[in-house]
Amino acid sequence: MNLDRPPDEQAVGSEETEKVLQLPAAARAADIALDELELVYAFIYARVGNRADAEDLTQQVAMKAIPRLREGSAASAIRGYLFATARSVLGGFWSTRLGLSEAELHEDLVMAAPQAPPSEARADTVQAILAQLSDNYRRVLELRFLHGYSLKEVAADMNSTVGAVKVMQLRALRAAAKVQVEL
Amino acid sequence: MNKPENRVDKIVSDLLKGRRLKLRGGDAEEKAAITTAARLAAARQGPQRMNPAFRKRLEQALESAPREPWMTRRVALVAGFGLAAGAVAGGVLGRATEAAHPAPAQRGGPINPKQGQWVDVAALSDLVEGQGKRVTAGGVGAYLFRRGEEVTAVTSICSHLPCELLWNTANGVLDCTCHPASFTAAGTSTNKAYPLPTLNKVYARVTAAGRVEVLGTA
Repeated sequence: MNLDRPPDEQAVGSEETEKVLQLPAAARAADIALDELELVYAFIYARVGNRADAEDLTQQVAMKAIPRLREGSAASAIRGYLFATARSVLGGFWSTRLGLSEAELHEDLVMAAPQAPPSEARADTVQAILAQLSDNYRRVLELRFLHGYSLKEVAADMNSTVGAVKVMQLRALRAAAKVQVEL
Repeated sequence: MNKPENRVDKIVSDLLKGRRLKLRGGDAEEKAAITTAARLAAARQGPQRMNPAFRKRLEQALESAPREPWMTRRVALVAGFGLAAGAVAGGVLGRATEAAHPAPAQRGGPINPKQGQWVDVAALSDLVEGQGKRVTAGGVGAYLFRRGEEVTAVTSICSHLPCELLWNTANGVLDCTCHPASFTAAGTSTNKAYPLPTLNKVYARVTAAGRVEVLGTA
């Protein structure tokens, strides 16, 4: 196709100007949403503890948020909406997988949107919670979760049996669930 | 295996191996133990960022889904896009949201400068069929494509991020320098799953003297 006909300046001139200017705006909006979704991903990962579920849930949040982004909202509103959606999606996840009610998910559902990605403060919080447990409970959780020991290795370290460590692990997790405030 | 300590340990083992949560029923305390285990497993791995491939998928989904203008003027300003652009975009968006959103493939209309003038950019004999040639006609950058005695042209600016395109000789496409996006000589996006808007066409003509002219600016 040879576009050699003279242009009709009056008809389309202003339209072209608009196109050029609107493209960067759309790109920036996608960047904003993507950066916010990084925070959402970290927020979700910190609760489900594995990448596959965190990715699925983050994608659900993104898909739900797109219509809101299309309507147009301020960046701060986008963050608020994304985290509200994230809490809802997480609530649905636990509800489906565990049969937990929203009342039992109180902490997840009321937590405010973080202003920054999780930092070392999270690890400190974990230590603070573990510090409230009895020596044996703290030891079993430290070895298992923070050092990645197998049950057998934990049993050897604690001079116990695999069966006993399993029971202790369950009791320690129950105890940690009761003392945790904001993990 | 049906004892609570076995059920919970299976979940803990899965978590520590990076596997999905495969949850089973249990009493309230057991459930609380499982949610705590998930959090401890996450804490062990520290702050997490998205895997680059996953981030890319999300980015593509975000880029493709909103289609036409999806920011208000206010958001454009928040994004640091500037007052002037915000004012123009605000006007555009107000109007565009009233109309049906055209599919990306329907875009790509010709660039039509208000003070346009034909600019001699090359000899027809300089152009090789199947190869793009970058030319400049004042403020208009374009890639020329020859087919026989005819010449077509598309803008040299990506339709998504406002970056210069580069001709990829090996693949016969225009590659965006800012992100992984490519366009054919006709200006259409090569990504079928998440097609970007078609490149704007540029008016081009061949004179009787065998010169190629592009409608650009002074």
